[in-house]
Amino acid sequence: MIWAVALALGIVIAAGTYLALSRDVLRCLIGLALMGSGVNLLLFAAGRLVTHVPPIILDGETLLGAAANPLPQALVLTAIVIGFALLCFSLVLAVRLMLTTGTHDTSQLRTAEPAPTDDHKPALEDVR
Amino acid sequence: MQPQELNATTTAAAHTTMLPLVLIPATLFALLLYVLFTVALPWTFSSPWIPSLGIDFRVQVDGLAAQFLLLITGIGTLVFVYGAGYLKGDPKRMRVFVLLLLFMAAMIGAVISDHLIVLFVFWELTSVLSFLLVGTHHEEESNRKSAQQALLVTGLGGLFLLAGFILLSEIGGTYSIQQLIARTATLPDDARLPAALALIFVGAFTKSAQFPFHFWLPNAMAAPTPVSAYLHSATLVKLGIYLLARLDAAFSDLPFWEVTLVSVGTLTAVGAAIQTVRERDLKRILAWSTVATLGTLTMLVGLPGNGAALAVATLFFAHALYKAPLFFVAGNLDHGAGTRIIDQLTGMRRYMPWTAAAALLAAFSMAGLPLSFGFVAKDALTIAKAEADVFMLVSYATVFVSGVSVAVAAIAAIHIFWGRDTIPREVHPHEAPLNMLLPPLVLVALALVFGLAPTLVDPLLGAAAHAIAPGFDTAAVDAAYDAGPVITATLSALVLGIGIYLGWDRLHALLDRVRVFDNVGPESWYWRKLKFLPRLAAWQTRRLQHGLLPRYLLVLVGSVTLAMLALLWIAQPVWIWPAWHTLTWPVAAACVLIASAAIATLFMRDHLVLLLVSGLVGYGSAILFLFTGAPDLAFTQFAVETVYVVVAAAVLVMLRRGGPLPNAAQPEARLRPFALAVALAFGAMLTALVLYTAGLPFDAALSDFFGAQSLSAAHGRNVVNVIIVDFRGIDTLGEISVLLFALLAALPLLRLAHAARGRVT
Repeated sequence: MIWAVALALGIVIAAGTYLALSRDVLRCLIGLALMGSGVNLLLFAAGRLVTHVPPIILDGETLLGAAANPLPQALVLTAIVIGFALLCFSLVLAVRLMLTTGTHDTSQLRTAEPAPTDDHKPALEDVR
Repeated sequence: MQPQELNATTTAAAHTTMLPLVLIPATLFALLLYVLFTVALPWTFSSPWIPSLGIDFRVQVDGLAAQFLLLITGIGTLVFVYGAGYLKGDPKRMRVFVLLLLFMAAMIGAVISDHLIVLFVFWELTSVLSFLLVGTHHEEESNRKSAQQALLVTGLGGLFLLAGFILLSEIGGTYSIQQLIARTATLPDDARLPAALALIFVGAFTKSAQFPFHFWLPNAMAAPTPVSAYLHSATLVKLGIYLLARLDAAFSDLPFWEVTLVSVGTLTAVGAAIQTVRERDLKRILAWSTVATLGTLTMLVGLPGNGAALAVATLFFAHALYKAPLFFVAGNLDHGAGTRIIDQLTGMRRYMPWTAAAALLAAFSMAGLPLSFGFVAKDALTIAKAEADVFMLVSYATVFVSGVSVAVAAIAAIHIFWGRDTIPREVHPHEAPLNMLLPPLVLVALALVFGLAPTLVDPLLGAAAHAIAPGFDTAAVDAAYDAGPVITATLSALVLGIGIYLGWDRLHALLDRVRVFDNVGPESWYWRKLKFLPRLAAWQTRRLQHGLLPRYLLVLVGSVTLAMLALLWIAQPVWIWPAWHTLTWPVAAACVLIASAAIATLFMRDHLVLLLVSGLVGYGSAILFLFTGAPDLAFTQFAVETVYVVVAAAVLVMLRRGGPLPNAAQPEARLRPFALAVALAFGAMLTALVLYTAGLPFDAALSDFFGAQSLSAAHGRNVVNVIIVDFRGIDTLGEISVLLFALLAALPLLRLAHAARGRVT
């Protein structure tokens, strides 16, 4: 079981990384979301996948019997929700960016870091 | 009215005198003299400063430090008196005086501290203050460059010094200079000692303008004259020599110590003496002759023996007593005649009689003529050379340097002030005011008194020599005294000096034509490197800060992958592959869905389709969760994924209404192979990580704890829910806040976007 999950999450993260490396803002965001999903699977798999019994204490018992590991589930649950908030917010940011600048190509977004021009001379060029 | 009023106040401010500030150094000086006469040396004091690093503020004042303190406060007092006159009406004088006060404090701190790190801190402070003072009139570019050069050379030297100090303390096991000296006997065995000393040499040589770091000092003459007289003649530049003299007690027996100091000192002295003749500006002439004296001092510190120790102490003192007045004279000429170029200055005696008197007496001492204090210093120098049995070459070099000193003295006293004034001038030269005459006259008078009665300063010089060479014995030096070599040395220097003086113009013309001084050597190297640095920085910035998001991300993910690979390679873990369990068909289906949806996203051109396909990865995960015992996760993932896809689709549709979006852009063509390689490597790395983790023995302590406590402590049967709302309740609260803030931040953005779209359409 772990082999299949490990391979699947590796593929998801690789695909997410490739998407994130594109110039398109939206593809980049979707890539980051995929990477997040992959990492959630990684966290979940790190807690071992041995059973399909959910971690619920049965009636009449006081201890958790043989069931799935509850700890990674709690962590992944938090991660899913936070990832959702992050993505929704960045999506809105991206929309705002595209409406303001008229492009979704990051190589054309050069306000913060303008492209270097060759005729630019450093200030100290004419020392002495 | 208003501008006039403003003008009146600024004029009043311009006339505010700085003279009251003299009280600070004067009080310190008086206090020091009083304590010197009442309390026997050495004085010590210690208090913890940074206990966690073992740094104590340890103060130790012995003869050497006391001599420096006298010079710092004494010359400081006179510099303040002089500066009040010289900088009268200068709008920057308040800044100069405050910096001078800070500098004085830093110098005092440097010479009294016994802790190497504390000494270093004060040492660097003097460098920074020197930078600020040289750049006083920073409107002129040449001044800025001189200040920058002084800071770069001495500041870089300071870094070497710090490394040397740390290494030295590692070897000696202590940061205290006194304890280091006490442990001398065991130190030379350590193989790291030459490295530590070499680093300290670099620091001391940069500070004291020794070859090959000498060039910054003459350029530092861009500073106002009181600053030059104080920092670049009497105090700052002597700090390097001070440190060497301070450590001399520990290392004077090492051959490495003696050979380095004698050769570098001699080379510096001879080189600077030649450069002296190439100058026409009196201040730069004095600066080069200061470099020559510093070289002589370095050479003397390197020489073994009691005589050398005494000579160092005497020359320190004598140099301060004649060089500072000569700087004051240069300042007076600048002030009264408007120039410092020696060709335009003759017969100044008629206009500036008191300055002429001060120049004459100072020159008398500088030339080392009998009955002057300079003669006493030359005396000590000759004895030191005779005792240490130096090479003939070094001996000749000293005579040559003395000869140039005589010539410089003659230029300053005779060429400028005597003879007939034949040069036509627009402005009639005039004598300097009283507070610019008093300081040089006081110093030359002191030199005269000490020259006539050297016994007055004997105790002080003896104490200083004792600090440099612990076995110092006045009687032994007196016994070794031989008048013969002294007379020979004085006479030969005098004859040589008169020769150079008479042939100064011809020598100058000759040496000025030798371009090799300008084009080869450390200073031209410095300028070349300084030009190279900004280019390197520009190139590097263009390479690293190109502003292209995919490339940044590529570097980031690539570095993480490489770091993990490196970690694996270093750790060489034992891989235990997990067993291949049979798959239940729902899990297999989920994994296939996840993987195929992920691969499919790469081929989707349309944003909306891409978004929907990427949503399949989330649904696949949800199915996987459902069949691996995590129904809570599955429900959450289903809900979140659905809401996300709906929200994102709505946004995309909204965007599309303003016109179709262009096709999704792939990574740059040039970047694509790298992007693919990095993505595959990163994914493969994480797959391997999961498999490796699965092979390790599982530590169930935390899971068992939650399983055991869930019902008994938190009264809940669903362990996952209990963890979220109870055991990690605060975390969940934070998570809810994040959601809320995301919503709050997104709302106005959406509204703005809506408005912007309205405007566009």
